[in-house]
Amino acid sequence: MRLTECLRDEKEEILRLWMEAVYATYPFDAKGVLRTVSDPFGNPGADMTREAAHALYDAVMGEETTVDGVKGALERFVKLRAVQRDTPSRALGVFHLLKPIMRQRLLPHCTDSGELNGYLAAESRLDSLILLAFDMYMADRETLAESRVKEIRSQHAQLTKWAQAFKKSLLVAG
Amino acid sequence: MAKLPAPQELIASRPPFPGEHWLALKPEFSPGSFCYPAKPDTMERLHMPNPHEWDPAADDWGLPENWEKTLCDAFAERLEKHRSLKLFMDICVRCGACADKCHFFLGTNDPKNMPVLRAELLRSLYRRDHTMLGKLLGKTAGARGWDKSVVKELFYYAYQCTECRRCSLFCPYGIDTAEITMIVRELLHEVGLGTHWIMDPVKNCSFTGNHLGIQPHSFVEIVEMLADDCETVTGIRPKTPFNKKNAEILFITPSGDVFADPGIYTFMGYLLLFHQLDLDYTLSTYASEGGNFGSFTSFNMAKKLNAKMYAEAERLNAKWILGGECGHMWRVINQYMDTYNGPTPANMIPPTSPVTGTVFSNAASTKMVHIAEFTADLIYHNKLKLDPSRNDHIVTTFHDSCNPSRGMGLLDEPRYVLKAVCNNFVEMPENTIREQTFCCGAGSGLNTEEIMELRMRAGMPRGNALRHVQQKFGVNHMACVCAIDRATLPPLANYWAPGVTVSGLHELVANALVMTGEQKRTMDLRQEDLPGVEEDETDAQEGGE
Ligand code: SF4
Ligand code: SF4
Repeated sequence: MRLTECLRDEKEEILRLWMEAVYATYPFDAKGVLRTVSDPFGNPGADMTREAAHALYDAVMGEETTVDGVKGALERFVKLRAVQRDTPSRALGVFHLLKPIMRQRLLPHCTDSGELNGYLAAESRLDSLILLAFDMYMADRETLAESRVKEIRSQHAQLTKWAQAFKKSLLVAG
Repeated sequence: MAKLPAPQELIASRPPFPGEHWLALKPEFSPGSFCYPAKPDTMERLHMPNPHEWDPAADDWGLPENWEKTLCDAFAERLEKHRSLKLFMDICVRCGACADKCHFFLGTNDPKNMPVLRAELLRSLYRRDHTMLGKLLGKTAGARGWDKSVVKELFYYAYQCTECRRCSLFCPYGIDTAEITMIVRELLHEVGLGTHWIMDPVKNCSFTGNHLGIQPHSFVEIVEMLADDCETVTGIRPKTPFNKKNAEILFITPSGDVFADPGIYTFMGYLLLFHQLDLDYTLSTYASEGGNFGSFTSFNMAKKLNAKMYAEAERLNAKWILGGECGHMWRVINQYMDTYNGPTPANMIPPTSPVTGTVFSNAASTKMVHIAEFTADLIYHNKLKLDPSRNDHIVTTFHDSCNPSRGMGLLDEPRYVLKAVCNNFVEMPENTIREQTFCCGAGSGLNTEEIMELRMRAGMPRGNALRHVQQKFGVNHMACVCAIDRATLPPLANYWAPGVTVSGLHELVANALVMTGEQKRTMDLRQEDLPGVEEDETDAQEGGE
């Protein structure tokens, strides 16, 4: 089978396997809800995973896409993982889970049809995506760190203004 | 030679099949997953039981010697006192309707954050001591005994519930897991376990009235500064009446709006509105906090802190109380105040708007009116001159805060006001608003920075819906009627929907309010330039030439 055909035929199954692999990183008893509730607002975690899965697949398989486009589609998912897992590897490692699936579902066909290079190019694109995701993850973590500082400042904003005015009045008087 | 693990092995958070029953898996107290504990000094001054130094990450939490008996007795006492609690323990049929309705579960995917299982943590203890089956069959009947790890688990999950009541909306029996969480927090206090972010404000409110413990004279000065800022924007310096005897109305609002950005702009909005109406009202330096941090602690503490509202209305001889935009303050007023602190002092009468003559019969008992109702009534009777085009650079949505929406049914009044002062209003998806609203993720005393990640995952369903309307309809603003939301939503929006600003309702009201004798508005209450104003002027000049 030609690689392009094979990519099309295998898409649903590969996406399903990858999402299963992602859900498997959550506690067992939570998996049911993640898999079965499809409302995008009632079960946003699954919706984010679905959106990321499609974007990931299309980009890896070499569909026409822009960096901004794919980043936009991965954004929610990366943000979620960035606050759900305590280390970058546990947060972003889920992207690597696509590799064994690709090797299982696509590699044999590609070897048969002599399109190994095509396959390797797809894997390389996955590596690029992981690098992109890593940048996004870091930006998200930065935002969190900034939020902490900003929040402490905001909580006392008016108090600080008052204290500064008070200090000024003391200086003037003194 | 050892080999590096494959990615699958590195990232797995659990073995392929769980070896243990869900109840046996214990939470990990890693930094960021828990709030800092209350200080012994704070707890001592509040006469809380067993004040002590402890660290949630440590093995030993320094429980008192007789901790188990203390907890069992305290639980039995509460079962006796609250019939609802006993009912909630007995009637859950484990239908699972609530399971995926909690934002903590949706954000963490931790099964113990499913409301049904959160409650089961306590219910399993209940079964052992209070049900025949549990006594006879023990574990087989889902019963378990207390041990120190159970105490830790209760703490972990009682502070991963914002008492938002979303789950109860979907429960066919109306089981209110929020109330179960409240009881668990009460029980934990019996052995000296509380959090700093809640207990420090409780202490401050107990001793000085407001949550930061600002002395009365300084409090007045801070409010005066806000009045100065109002003058900069409008050319009018609003009155700031404090502790005025015989004023018709006592105004009480969360003190967060006096201290914190962006709440201060909402407070400025109140000052300007009341000034324009020439309202006979007063602020108080004693009842200077509407928010009730006691309600995150125990029923008794909530009652104690709430008492100052009526005490002050009596002292100042006010006829009724107008309450500002707050969440849990209104939950307490609407659900508990009558029982806690009623009946009202004899000098109070059923609230009547001095401007429109409307009698707020819904507040006949507590004699407290929500400012959104008050303002909606003004607008309905055409008593305010408004120029909503001043808010035209805003495309706003409205976040129903859990307490006003599910705790008191305040759904339409804020929207009515918002639509009158903003021309561009967009609702978020239906299953994320009104009664079904998703929590900000940090209510009930959880908006502390040490658990920022936890807040972002708990707030994810809200953030996600906001992001949706931002991308689809260009929403760039979110209004709300809760002081805690004004603190928790900015970081949430900044994470999930960067570019969306957050404000209270009355900030937008005052921006649109055309006041008698005001100067031409060139900026909003935040002193940010109003888009289009300068160009208009240039146009006008050019036109005049
Ligand atoms: S009250 Fe809210 S936070 Fe608590 S269990 Fe129910 S849905 Fe979750
Ligand atoms: S919806 Fe009510 S009865 Fe059903 S599992 Fe939840 S708490 Fe129990």
